[in-house]
Amino acid sequence: MMEQTPPSATGLTALEKVIAFVDERVGLKTIQAKMLNEPVPGGSRWAYVFGSILLFIFIMQAVTGILLMFYYVPTADHAFASTQYIIHEVDYGWFLLSYHFWGSTAMVVCVFAHMSQVFLWGAYKSPRELIWLVGLALFGLVMGFGFTGYLLPWDQRAYWATTVGVEIMDKTPVIGDFMARFLKGGATPGQMTLSRFFVIHVMILPAGLMGLAGLHIFLFRAAGPAGPFRGTPEEIKAKTDYFFPRQIWKDIVGMVTVFLTICALAFWEPVVLLEEATPDPGDYHPEPEWYFLFLFQLLRLKMFGGEFGQFVGAMALPGAFMALLAALPFIDRDPERNIFKRPIALIGWIMVMAMILLFTIAAIINREFLD
Amino acid sequence: MTERESTSPLKLGLNVLWSACWTGFPIKLAIALLFLALGMMHFEARIGLAFLMYLASPVTVFAMPILSMAFEPHLGEGFGIALLFLLCIPIDIWAMGVVSRTVFLEKLRLEPPDGLALSLWIKTALAGAVYMPILWFVVGFVTENSIAMSHALFETDLLKAVPVAEKIGIELTLWGSVSLGVLLVMLLIGVTLVGRVIKSAAQSAQPTGQSYQDIITRWDLMRVPADQGLMLTAVTLVGVVLSLLFWAGLPVSTPHPHECCKKPEVKAQPPYKPVDALNKNEKAITVLAAQVESLEKMKTEEEAAKEKEKDKGKAVKAKPADAKAPVKAPATP
Repeated sequence: MMEQTPPSATGLTALEKVIAFVDERVGLKTIQAKMLNEPVPGGSRWAYVFGSILLFIFIMQAVTGILLMFYYVPTADHAFASTQYIIHEVDYGWFLLSYHFWGSTAMVVCVFAHMSQVFLWGAYKSPRELIWLVGLALFGLVMGFGFTGYLLPWDQRAYWATTVGVEIMDKTPVIGDFMARFLKGGATPGQMTLSRFFVIHVMILPAGLMGLAGLHIFLFRAAGPAGPFRGTPEEIKAKTDYFFPRQIWKDIVGMVTVFLTICALAFWEPVVLLEEATPDPGDYHPEPEWYFLFLFQLLRLKMFGGEFGQFVGAMALPGAFMALLAALPFIDRDPERNIFKRPIALIGWIMVMAMILLFTIAAIINREFLD
Repeated sequence: MTERESTSPLKLGLNVLWSACWTGFPIKLAIALLFLALGMMHFEARIGLAFLMYLASPVTVFAMPILSMAFEPHLGEGFGIALLFLLCIPIDIWAMGVVSRTVFLEKLRLEPPDGLALSLWIKTALAGAVYMPILWFVVGFVTENSIAMSHALFETDLLKAVPVAEKIGIELTLWGSVSLGVLLVMLLIGVTLVGRVIKSAAQSAQPTGQSYQDIITRWDLMRVPADQGLMLTAVTLVGVVLSLLFWAGLPVSTPHPHECCKKPEVKAQPPYKPVDALNKNEKAITVLAAQVESLEKMKTEEEAAKEKEKDKGKAVKAKPADAKAPVKAPATP
């Protein structure tokens, strides 16, 4: 009877047998080949690591977020005390919370870097318009994560950042008032606000992000990587390589670097709470999270004073900018991808980055002035 | 003109320095994190400066002690800071070797000479030691003066009425543009200097004489270890050891608490009993009602007493007037 055993199964280890069993049923090797043997035109590059890093940061945020939820109580009475408990009583709780806090900052930075890379490489152009649009939606979700997560510790900073944010949202025509009332759940931020922000932060946004990230990756694999924007066909062909192992190695090094950076930031500046949230700001000057600071400072300018000015600064300008970004692949139909041959795109990018940097630093100086 | 001759020193310097700084960075970062976990160093508010100094350690390694003595840029506390700079040396030499060999092969199509990594690192670090203090002084001087000038500009009568937010924005744009411009020019000069050092090393190198595909394969394989299994095992082991050290050193509670984050005393709330609370509140209301009643009674009594005193006072005041009346009466016809 021994002669009837297939020769391929005789010399296999237990692990190989398990893999063969799964492969026979789900086509594991086909999936593996599909995922790893993707050709990367012009070879692997460090500039391509941001997408993978973002996925890694999201997974780490989910893991640390779940661990924090074991102790956090999302009620106005206990949110502050439970966060204090995490910081002071739970073993390594300070590190978990600080990692989660700095992880959100890293996510915003990497989203900016990823979008900049795609923009500068001209990778939003045909046939990759849908990838760009889904990416923009993901950018909105990441900002939503930052906004909703900021309230959860329920200290003065959290309370007032949310108040400022919701007031900005209130300026939106037609839906602004409804959105603000829906998020606050009352006249002032309270238990209803905390509950709603918590549910959005841990249920709605993660579900949305997982769905859209899956779609983003699917669309990316369908269109294929754009490759470098310059180089002769001979050079690109000579350097073209598969996704595995070189790009995967670069992605792993990028992930490790980001992980170490977040850990180092958690050590440098661990999360410290202010006083428990009250409707009286006292000496505290309300301001939003750092990535909204530029917008906050913009609204301090006299030209954006008054109801109409606030609407223009808070909603019309950012809305028009986002609409322009969404329409970009359909407006810019020139197949040229080299950023040095697209002066308007290059100057536009530099201007936007300089403006964000300038207004963010101005907001920090303004904070010192107020203090 | 060959590519070797046409590549500008600026481009060459940028190619090597940018890549060399980032190549060694993850390893330096892992060591820095370990030192932080073990409490061997603490960074202060200038984390951005500390990051740049460690990132650019191929040029700042000798410059940092000079800067500390001459201009006192304080990165933080602990002997780990100096130790980290020392550990950066072998890492930077390795990174400089990998990057410069690649640039020699791919960009210049030259055979990298022996000992290229060490000789380039020494020259770059020495150039940095001389140039960085000059850069620091010039940029610091320009920034300080441009800040003072932009402040003075807004002190004039013409611009005194400018609102605060606009004033901050315009001042920042003015002095920021000037100091950023000077910083960029100084950085470009510095990178060009490094490029000249690399170009001088390239003068004696021989052309490779290989096809482009062969050159690419060669520099690509330079990064692939001969024994991949051994390399993976070694990397994994080092990773495990570093992780264990990290977890052993990681403080259980916040590592450097200061006045702002002292542990507050949180008292546990007693369990809530609605009936007891109602009874207690009823009692409190009864007591308070009785107090209010007695207060009102006291007030009424006081008012009554005051009224009485007033009446008495009036009576007392009225008596002398009545007594005077007969006096005032005409005595004579």
